[in-house]
Amino acid sequence: MFRNYLKTAIRSLAKNKSFTLINVLGLALGLTACLLIVLYVIDELSYDRYNDKASRIYRVNEDLKLGGNRMQYAVCMPPLAKALTTDFPEVEDAVRIKNAGSMHVKKGTENIMEKSVAFADPSLFNVFTLPMINGNASNALAEPNSIVMTESAAIKYFNSTNVVGKPIIIDDKGGYKVTGVIKDIPQTSHFNFDFFISMSSFPDSRSDRWLRSDYNTYVLLKPGADPKRFEAKFPGLLRKYSSSQMQNELHISLDQFEKGGSFFKLNLIPLTDIHLKSSMIGELGANSTTEYIYIFSAIGLFILIIACVNFMNLSTARSANRAKEVGVRKVLGSSRGRLILQFLSESILITFAAVVIALTAALFLLPQFNQLSGKQIGFNSHTLIWLAPVSLFIIAVVGLLAGTYPAFFLSAFEPVHVLKGKLRTGLKGGGLRSFLVVLQFCISVFLIIGTLVVYNQLRYIQNRDLGYDRNQVLVIKNTYELNKQAATFKQQIKQLPGVIDATLSGFTPTSSGRRTSIFNKEASLTDQSKSIFPQSWYVDEDYIPTMGMKLKAGRNFSLQMGTDSTGLIINETAAKFLGFKDPIGKNLYQFDDPKFKKVVTYQIVGVIKDFNFSSLRQNISPVIFQLRQDAGLLSVRVKTKDIPALISQIKTMWHSLTPADFDYTFMDEEFAASYHKEQQTGTIFLIFTSLAIIIACLGLFGLAAYAAEQRTKEIGIRKVLGADVSTIVAMLSKDFIKLVFIAIVIAGPLAWFAMQKWLQGFAYRQAIPWWVVAVAGGGALVIAFMTISFQSVKAALTNPVESLKSE
Amino acid sequence: MEKYYRTEEVETIALNKLSMEVKEGEFVAIMGPSGCGKSTLLNILGMLDDPDAGSYLFNGTEVANVGERKRADLRKHNIGFVFQSFNLIDELTVYENVELPLIYTGVASSDRVKRVEEVLEKMQIMHRRNHYPQQLSGGQQQRVAIARAVVNKPKLILADEPTGNLDSSNGNEVMELLTDLNEQGTTIIMVTHSEHDARYSHRIIRLLDGQTVMENIMI
Repeated sequence: MFRNYLKTAIRSLAKNKSFTLINVLGLALGLTACLLIVLYVIDELSYDRYNDKASRIYRVNEDLKLGGNRMQYAVCMPPLAKALTTDFPEVEDAVRIKNAGSMHVKKGTENIMEKSVAFADPSLFNVFTLPMINGNASNALAEPNSIVMTESAAIKYFNSTNVVGKPIIIDDKGGYKVTGVIKDIPQTSHFNFDFFISMSSFPDSRSDRWLRSDYNTYVLLKPGADPKRFEAKFPGLLRKYSSSQMQNELHISLDQFEKGGSFFKLNLIPLTDIHLKSSMIGELGANSTTEYIYIFSAIGLFILIIACVNFMNLSTARSANRAKEVGVRKVLGSSRGRLILQFLSESILITFAAVVIALTAALFLLPQFNQLSGKQIGFNSHTLIWLAPVSLFIIAVVGLLAGTYPAFFLSAFEPVHVLKGKLRTGLKGGGLRSFLVVLQFCISVFLIIGTLVVYNQLRYIQNRDLGYDRNQVLVIKNTYELNKQAATFKQQIKQLPGVIDATLSGFTPTSSGRRTSIFNKEASLTDQSKSIFPQSWYVDEDYIPTMGMKLKAGRNFSLQMGTDSTGLIINETAAKFLGFKDPIGKNLYQFDDPKFKKVVTYQIVGVIKDFNFSSLRQNISPVIFQLRQDAGLLSVRVKTKDIPALISQIKTMWHSLTPADFDYTFMDEEFAASYHKEQQTGTIFLIFTSLAIIIACLGLFGLAAYAAEQRTKEIGIRKVLGADVSTIVAMLSKDFIKLVFIAIVIAGPLAWFAMQKWLQGFAYRQAIPWWVVAVAGGGALVIAFMTISFQSVKAALTNPVESLKSE
Repeated sequence: MEKYYRTEEVETIALNKLSMEVKEGEFVAIMGPSGCGKSTLLNILGMLDDPDAGSYLFNGTEVANVGERKRADLRKHNIGFVFQSFNLIDELTVYENVELPLIYTGVASSDRVKRVEEVLEKMQIMHRRNHYPQQLSGGQQQRVAIARAVVNKPKLILADEPTGNLDSSNGNEVMELLTDLNEQGTTIIMVTHSEHDARYSHRIIRLLDGQTVMENIMI
């Protein structure tokens, strides 16, 4: 019996080639998109799950509120890890990781700059699953100057992974020894280092200070330990260790500190939540957000719905062509149940074909998709483990979902009527079909509006006046390599033709590093409500003109003013936080060194207009500039047509002063990189939205074809009676266009509200312009009309003699 | 039996207290002008439709208003249909079309081959067994339809204008086939407009406005 169904199904599909093509390709296209989205979402959700003990690993975060500023840190105090293991029986182990920034690793005579270097405690390999290829995991990082490297790094530097015991030179210092080689860290890790240097090599790691945070600290809880109960013990831990230091350094008790509205707390985040739910200061890498997971899952689901709707609509639309078969089968004794089974088999067969095409297409498109999404997703044995059952599940669910309605609809035909040719209702009585077309176009219009809003916001970000000029600014990194010659280097560069200005500073508005420190409005420093916790950047006197920033009040730093070493320039937001109407000449106070208990008095000499230095998702926070010459970045504003030649000149000058690598970037590139994820998401959004629209139009194309076919005789008669082509096209298009119009009316406001909510995630955003809804609606109408017109015009141009003969 | 067709405003009487009896082994022709109720009667006799009033005894069993499942069961075991427009399934070959009723009655695969080949031979269409309906002439298609109607060895064959779409030569061939089947014991009820075809039957029932107006016994 099943063979008979299969045979009929295959032959019926082969007979209606265009229908089959539209249906199978539409579904395959939808499933391909859906599959790629599923791969993306699964990859995002799989971060850090490669760790065998992932469910017991937590990172300790710090939540700090000071002087009205609240900051959340992914880093904690240096002695915290040790205290956790000694004070809490539920802790099995703890490990600290400290990003070492960039270091020069020697290969032969060449010094190669490596940016993936970290210091780590010996317990690293007990907490995380980083399989050791060579070396002993239990003591690889126990001794000072020990280095564990990844397989790739070992091959890069030694052409072998059998390198345990070999010496390696870092930052031109010998004495380091390779003690282990680990497998490369999976891409789905929230940190990715090539070199781990033993923490004992880093003297700062022995610091006992509890009032600073710069070590990423992970804790491995014993099986069965309750993280909530463990977390509840943190206030006591902080009180125990930090009270005395607070008294000594800030001259206040912890109670006084908290009474002033300030606090510092510790909390836990599960390891597997870090990638999607953590965006704090001091992260070990760029994380993502759950927002993208929701958006992509929704798009995937939308596309699948559109593809299924196509299948249902086209199957029921062509029901008139299958009516005779249903009638004959019924007359010959087939029950309704058997017919339902037959049509469901057919639907599952189409879905199976579509899934096979989709899997093949996804396999071929994966490299491009990886490039687009910045991922390294691959089909491997792990993928197959879930992909095989998921594919079967999709075949069953989509096959049943898409086939159920046509199956019940077709099997309900009365043989008496269909065999007499009385059933020509392929496109009549299509209430559900109209609803489904409206649903498809609702989704399409929603996605078009979503894409337009995302792009509009991205364009706004790109073009917004950020309060500084990021164009034509070359940023030379690591100028600390030049030591005291940095200032000379800057002066030499300023003399070069094509250079407008240059400045040495610790930070630029686009650099990733940040520094904060506490200032108080009162010299006593005891009232925390008078404190401010701003970004505190070291800059020189050329910083403001080079960056193109604007002074709102006061003056720039000047080397002629001896007092400017204790001068401050603050931004408008800092002035607001401090409550100064006229900040110029006002003093701020800070401990010079906690051990000397000396208070330094600073005077505000200038106020600059606010500038954006973090994501436009966040509000501008207070910034204070201090005058220093000993910084690590040299920013050069240039104006030349031959930038490569200028860079070459500067590079020659650099190497005349230091053998260290010449590393540079452009400020606008750094800025673009900080919105890379948004750009990437926007592009993916656009591609999948286009796919959704194409699939919806494929369905509409098929429906229009059947509508025209069903009305062939009517078209013939109308033409004989004098109707022209435009009248026929209007007649055939009207019904569909009406449905698309209804979809626009429904989806427009829904999309507007949804995107309004998305925009609320940006502190700086552009309101949704009216034209977005108009363009989306108009676009959908035009696309739909063009799709339908193709069929309508074809039908309208047919010779009426042919049309009437066909009946 | 009575049968009405109703719309919102109009009620049409298709069968008006019609009474008839067909004996086992009879060949009955039903004639009458368009709209007289011939096809309605045939549909009810074929258990494709129910009468609105009255009784239909099939082989002594009341079948008027029984459930769809029961009717489908009775139909597939006892009745074969031959239509004017053949109603073959275009996607199935000649062999597969004829095999279909046997599949529905659950005949084993090996038996099916034997019975289908037997009936195809009998209808002299064996050489076309692997062709699709669209590749056959009208006469050949109707022979396939008759083969399909008889493959389950039904007690009754209902033929709805079986020669309506055929030329006279093919029409005669089809009528000869039906006569042979009747002579072998199959009861046949045939709706026709053709006096020529009706002459192959034992009895002609003439309908007008849903009622029997005349019966002719053929000698």
